[in-house]
Amino acid sequence: MAYTIFAASSMVVYIALGTLLHLQFGRTGMVNFGVVGFVGIGMYGFGILVSRYELPVVVALVLATLITTLLAAILGWLILDLDGEAVLVATLAFATIVYYLTVTQKDLTGGVAGLGGIPYPIDVGLDSALALLVILIFVALLFLGYAHRLGRVPYGRLLASIKDNEPLARSLGKSTFREKLIFFSITSGMMGLVGALYASTNQFLVPRMLAAGLTFTVWIALTLGGRAKVLGAVVGVLISVALFDLVIEPFLPVPRWVGALMPDLQLMFYGLILVTVILFRPLGLLGGRQKAQRS
Amino acid sequence: MESTPSTRPAPRASLVLTDVVKSFGGRTVADIPHLKLGRYGVEGLIGPNGAGKTTVTKLITGAHSLDRGTISYHGPSGVIDLSQLPSHRIARAGVVKSNQVIQDFETLTIRDSLLLAAARPRDERFWYLGRSRTSAELVNDIDGYLEYFRFENPDRHALSAGEKKLLDIIRCLLVKPKFLLLDEPTAGLPQWETDQVKELVRQLGAEGEISILIIEHDLELMWSVCDYVHFMADGKLLLQGTPDEVRSDPTVIEKYLGGGHVEG
Repeated sequence: MAYTIFAASSMVVYIALGTLLHLQFGRTGMVNFGVVGFVGIGMYGFGILVSRYELPVVVALVLATLITTLLAAILGWLILDLDGEAVLVATLAFATIVYYLTVTQKDLTGGVAGLGGIPYPIDVGLDSALALLVILIFVALLFLGYAHRLGRVPYGRLLASIKDNEPLARSLGKSTFREKLIFFSITSGMMGLVGALYASTNQFLVPRMLAAGLTFTVWIALTLGGRAKVLGAVVGVLISVALFDLVIEPFLPVPRWVGALMPDLQLMFYGLILVTVILFRPLGLLGGRQKAQRS
Repeated sequence: MESTPSTRPAPRASLVLTDVVKSFGGRTVADIPHLKLGRYGVEGLIGPNGAGKTTVTKLITGAHSLDRGTISYHGPSGVIDLSQLPSHRIARAGVVKSNQVIQDFETLTIRDSLLLAAARPRDERFWYLGRSRTSAELVNDIDGYLEYFRFENPDRHALSAGEKKLLDIIRCLLVKPKFLLLDEPTAGLPQWETDQVKELVRQLGAEGEISILIIEHDLELMWSVCDYVHFMADGKLLLQGTPDEVRSDPTVIEKYLGGGHVEG
């Protein structure tokens, strides 16, 4: 049961992050390859604030989110005027810096030995993990609801115009850099919030959690499901991570030698479905409008 | 609205280019000591390909930066130095340009594209998830344009080059410009749509609310809609005058219309 709750919590975290990435990339065209960096700031920020400084959980959650938002704003201000490839590299570099800081700043983070003693947001004894799962589901639904609503309001059209043709949007009086900066900061800040909650799910933090794998998993899930669709991340996570962690691993009787190879097989399988989907459904399983062909 | 004789209408928005120079890779594409635009409702800018016409409009709207010189905009809220402003601020100040090369938002439908252009910043906030508060007047405008240009189904995406071109012009108008720059607005349009654009330009010019500068190679159209014409060649302004003066000038005939030009 404990494992199922943990695995389900991870799924919901992936869905929440994938939905935020859908907002950043699928809606606005900002190529954030540093998802795990923002998650890491929220995670360790929260962990340090509650375990080292013994702040109340709610205060620590809010502070961790604000710190992540602020750092995203500074990073965004430096890079969001650059083209997509440069943003990709810069965000990836940011995440790498965050990773190494967690390793080297032992006084704060505990380094590779880890940081423990992180409580659940709501302490209801044995059901605390379940309560946290409910909170995570609520947060994910909030993001999904926001993404859904965005398709029908002026702000959604503004973001779409930035993704489609930024100079044209600017020529119509839209302050595109400012809007990108605000939206990037807030959505990245929300990745920090998810990271902070994920810190509670894990109870114990080690730098390895902040390896680039998390970013790639979220990107793969969103690409599989459909980057331009609200439910893209949900579908993507269900057919990639959930398939392994919630179905195959607990229920499929696999021989021990296969079990040992499972993590590698999983990555190979991800690669296979990713290639297949990109070949046959370039916009993901849920699809979406293909950009007009340029002749 | 009737204006009483005692209230004079506000003067048209105008643009004054002073000592403007722009070069790309050592080649001077625009060198204009002085140019005032907006004395008349509809002015034209003509000249052979590569004369620097589009460059001048791009300098005005901030799509290109100036090497030297100033561009001042005399609008409803006084005089503004455009060379110091980013392009979205220039558009908000009331100077808007349509595009020569087709530009479109690929994922927006025709109606969404127009609603985007009409939307004002207070509606475009990340926390605002309510109904669009675009003013009734602008919604009426959108419906009017959609009908005028006979868009059959505005809830799909623009498909043909003509539709995209018209959409570009309508978007510009929905920003409520005081000074509108039209860069080859009828290039590639079928005849009846060209006539629609021509009629619209003429009407806007006559209403006197906005000043229009139009670049076009279709000279018949230019002679018929423009009150005043500027002639450019090789980055320089060579001649200004009424359409009749310009079309009969020997320099214009030699450099642009060609010696064999036979027209009434």
